[in-house]
Amino acid sequence: MKTKNKVNRRRPSQSWRRRLTPYVFIMPNMAIFITFIIWPALRGIYISFFDSTDGRTFTFVGTANYKAIIGDPTAIEVARATATYVVFYVLIATTLAMFFAIVVNEQKFAKGFFRAVLFLPVMLSPVVVGLIWNDVLDRKVGPLNALLEAVGGGSPGWLIEPKLGMIAVIFVGVWVHLGFYSIILLAGLQGIDRSLLEAASMDGATRGQIIRLIILPLLKPTTLVIIILATIHGFQSFDFIYTLTGGGPFGATTLIVQYIYDHAFQVPIQYGLGSAAGVILFMVIFAFTALNFLLGRKRDAI
Amino acid sequence: MRSLKLSSSKQKWTSASGKRPPTRAEIIRTTFLTVMMLIILAPVVWFVLSSFKDITDLSSRPPKILPTHWAFENYTEAFKMYNYKRYFMNSVFITTVATLLTLLINSMAAYAFSKYNFRGRDGLFVMTLAMIMIPLQVILIPIYLVVSSLGLVNTYWGMIIPAAATPTGVFILRQYMLTIPDELIESARIDGAGEFRIFARIVLPLARPALAVVAIFSILWRWNDFIWPLLIAQDERLYTLPVALALLNGQLVVPYNIVLAMSVMSIIPVLFMFVFMQRQIIQGIAQTGLK
Repeated sequence: MKTKNKVNRRRPSQSWRRRLTPYVFIMPNMAIFITFIIWPALRGIYISFFDSTDGRTFTFVGTANYKAIIGDPTAIEVARATATYVVFYVLIATTLAMFFAIVVNEQKFAKGFFRAVLFLPVMLSPVVVGLIWNDVLDRKVGPLNALLEAVGGGSPGWLIEPKLGMIAVIFVGVWVHLGFYSIILLAGLQGIDRSLLEAASMDGATRGQIIRLIILPLLKPTTLVIIILATIHGFQSFDFIYTLTGGGPFGATTLIVQYIYDHAFQVPIQYGLGSAAGVILFMVIFAFTALNFLLGRKRDAI
Repeated sequence: MRSLKLSSSKQKWTSASGKRPPTRAEIIRTTFLTVMMLIILAPVVWFVLSSFKDITDLSSRPPKILPTHWAFENYTEAFKMYNYKRYFMNSVFITTVATLLTLLINSMAAYAFSKYNFRGRDGLFVMTLAMIMIPLQVILIPIYLVVSSLGLVNTYWGMIIPAAATPTGVFILRQYMLTIPDELIESARIDGAGEFRIFARIVLPLARPALAVVAIFSILWRWNDFIWPLLIAQDERLYTLPVALALLNGQLVVPYNIVLAMSVMSIIPVLFMFVFMQRQIIQGIAQTGLK
């Protein structure tokens, strides 16, 4: 860490009271960290080996919760739905974000306005997102189907048929987060030295060549960041799906976080099983983050 | 309009020659972007228009784009009915108190990490960074059990405290405070100022840009947060706006047109914040890549 040098490394020779001061400063923050993040995280691992229906009495069951998840056909469905969602979400969101970032970056007229519009959905509450899209995708009175009917496309039941439900959820997920990733990429683009691009265009490189051979390679660190973020967001998606489809139709859009939520807060309550699913989710997110990171690094080395 | 002036005065790499009539590529690009932005905006615009429709308009088929009669009464009704003011004030209260608390404890911790030398500092800092990786959703159950064993379920504090210490907030503020010269703090010490006085009078004012970023993220997140208040607020009097909107709509106790009006009103405060603080929000995201 470069910044370390700036820290005052001299041990203060003052009284014990002076030496206590930094601990007083970090105490409130650390107390909350320990009580509400670290301790629960450790406890989550611990109770994943127990069975509990009330949060008070715990019966040790060994790895039974993990085995139950692996043997649970619902969990397999959830894993499939989560995988489908994450793959399409990450691919579409990062590609579109990259595309929009490059186009908006070249834009001169009303650039700030376009950027603001792109960002607007990021600021909406998941509840409002759910309400908006329920309204828009409504089979009978929604504007989307009205448009489709006008061009003879029928009136698909977006939130009624399982396959369409998944498509709708992926689309809305992308819609919500697109502006967020685009803004990170735009910042990355702004960091690219313009003289490089001017030199290339003087040498007769086409716009496509400049994008492919100069911009994309230079943007790789930022791209890696948004791929990692999108993967994490993808695996954690829950709230707007919950308000949009409630995990339906027929469980088609129930992803892993909702599986955890349902086991913890819907009858029959199974804290242990839910916690085990939480541990699995954490390991999966961790593995994918590490994988993305390593792949990104490796390609840099070549 | 301002962005228009700004962009024409600056030279962008895409155009070598500043002031000439727009090229065909520029026209195509602007048209394309306008169409794409309309697609992105359309659902929100539709939603806002819907909030001015009465029940008959809302169920008309094919749907009407503009309301036949502008039902402003949706809004006045929303204010009169269903404890809307209460939910709104709950959201305001929780967002305000939580953000102030976050700013206070995060900046205190950041100050210790950036300007003091103490045993365990680096270890604790690494631990803070590691916590960024633990998603709240994963530990929903154990956090809930902790909160419940502390008797904080169904209280404002149960909604406010658990997420008040944000690892990212500490990180942003610490990085910023590293740039404050040590000499400034040393000289205040020589002048006899106490440690807390230095923190409050010198460090906090200087860290204002970073505090603004942390505040914006905290406000956005708290205002919109759904899962946590949903779990903690079991008594209807404690509902925040998102919780109330989701539950009222789900239970069908409130007419849909009123729910729409309530939702649109719940967007307005964050929209205002965005309009006025767009630059800070965008810079903050760009610098830290966090939500």
